[in-house]
Amino acid sequence: MRIIVHKNKCQGHARCWAQAPGIFNLDDEGYILPGDIEVAERDELLASRGARSCPERALEIDATADALLTRLLFNQARGGVK
Amino acid sequence: MVRDFSLFTSPGMQRMPNGDPHAAVACVHDAPPIFYSPNNTRDGRGTWVITRAKDQRRVLQDTATFSSHRSIFASALGENWPMIPLELDPPAHGVFRSLLNPLFSPKRVMVLEPVIRERAITLIDRILAPSTSCDVMKNFAFPFAVSIFLGFLGLSDKELDTFVGWGRDLLHGENVKRTAAALAILGFIDELAAMRRKEPAGDFMSFAVGAQVNGRPLTDEEVRGIGVLLFVAGLDTVATAIGFDLAHLARNLKDQQLLRSEPDRIGLASEELLRAYSTVQMIRVATKDIDFDGAPIRKGDYISCATMIANRDPEEFECPNTIDLAREDNRHTAFAHGPHRCLGSHLARREIVIGLEEWLSRIPDFRIKEGTAPITFGGHVFGIENLILEWS
Ligand code: SF4
Repeated sequence: MRIIVHKNKCQGHARCWAQAPGIFNLDDEGYILPGDIEVAERDELLASRGARSCPERALEIDATADALLTRLLFNQARGGVK
Repeated sequence: MVRDFSLFTSPGMQRMPNGDPHAAVACVHDAPPIFYSPNNTRDGRGTWVITRAKDQRRVLQDTATFSSHRSIFASALGENWPMIPLELDPPAHGVFRSLLNPLFSPKRVMVLEPVIRERAITLIDRILAPSTSCDVMKNFAFPFAVSIFLGFLGLSDKELDTFVGWGRDLLHGENVKRTAAALAILGFIDELAAMRRKEPAGDFMSFAVGAQVNGRPLTDEEVRGIGVLLFVAGLDTVATAIGFDLAHLARNLKDQQLLRSEPDRIGLASEELLRAYSTVQMIRVATKDIDFDGAPIRKGDYISCATMIANRDPEEFECPNTIDLAREDNRHTAFAHGPHRCLGSHLARREIVIGLEEWLSRIPDFRIKEGTAPITFGGHVFGIENLILEWS
């Protein structure tokens, strides 16, 4: 999954970082570092939680990746792929 | 487009025992998303009221159309200078924000954690030793939040009660009190700045008088604008948040038990409590005529973006009036949107979380003391005056 970072929208709430400090990196002022973020599969849930807590909508979950995540969550809810 | 609603005078907004101004305010969502309220400021001015979170985001992110320069503090003195950075618009805003951001960054705040925790523990132990009841506001929330804040600014907390009184009069007092408080604060800040100019100490004001922007030192008015804002911002907000949070937990024993038995949840839960019990509103001034989804906003009009309204928006939050301490995807705006996002938000968050952690781990099952009632109020800034808890 990929997270598209709209750096110009970031206002330094650090909500993403609070949820997933290993995935979202902030600069010394507390704003997100530029550049989209490739997220390893095992971190997807955490990363999407972080992205979905951004009040400025500065973090966009890559639409294609998002569809995969939805499928994953759906499968998990059913107790895994059978 | 005109609606009889006001943060000051609508039902539930008055000072009252056992009030719930946040629930009362949520009723605006039954009506059109934008309307004009003819009497919605302390001095009886009208404002546009933006109720939807997404529209508030649009207003607060568009600083060219919606200016933050209002001289709200200076106007109490009949003057006109900005509190900085809050009442500066970009690009001037960014220069000062960059100067101050590193002091308040999430990482910087992490370093302060042990001091914050120690302060909480000291205060709670002092309450616990002699009694099984206390007024949370007087004995914990205010001394805790304000002493941390004064320490952060490098100031002594000897005069804490005086400072808290100034903050109360300024934010909630009638005009005469408000002006007196503004004068007292200004006198204090100006004097402190003069002292630190003569002889720097290790405090925030020494930093401010020695700082540079655009390759030049700050002017006296800039130092004053920064000093006043930072001082005022820390006197009321965090204490009030802790008050509303503990009032909620005192009335909702299941929530209290959940956080007591699973303290790891306090971080996320505190975000939900911030959402449900937000206390501040942002006011912006239109810099030009604009049609905002059919609302004919005119240059000079006031636009109110109240966090307590946006945070109960059913389009943004599922079941907004249900307080769900496990709520995910919580994009609440208790600390505002846009470039003016609260500079102190990371410090405030740490204080709230640590305050709740230590309170819950030390004070056994608590409830609102029988025969007492917390007094709450709406208005420009929502608040809670007293909170008498008891436990056994
Ligand atoms: S949550 Fe959004 S605004 Fe906040 S630091 Fe992350 S990207 Fe920036």
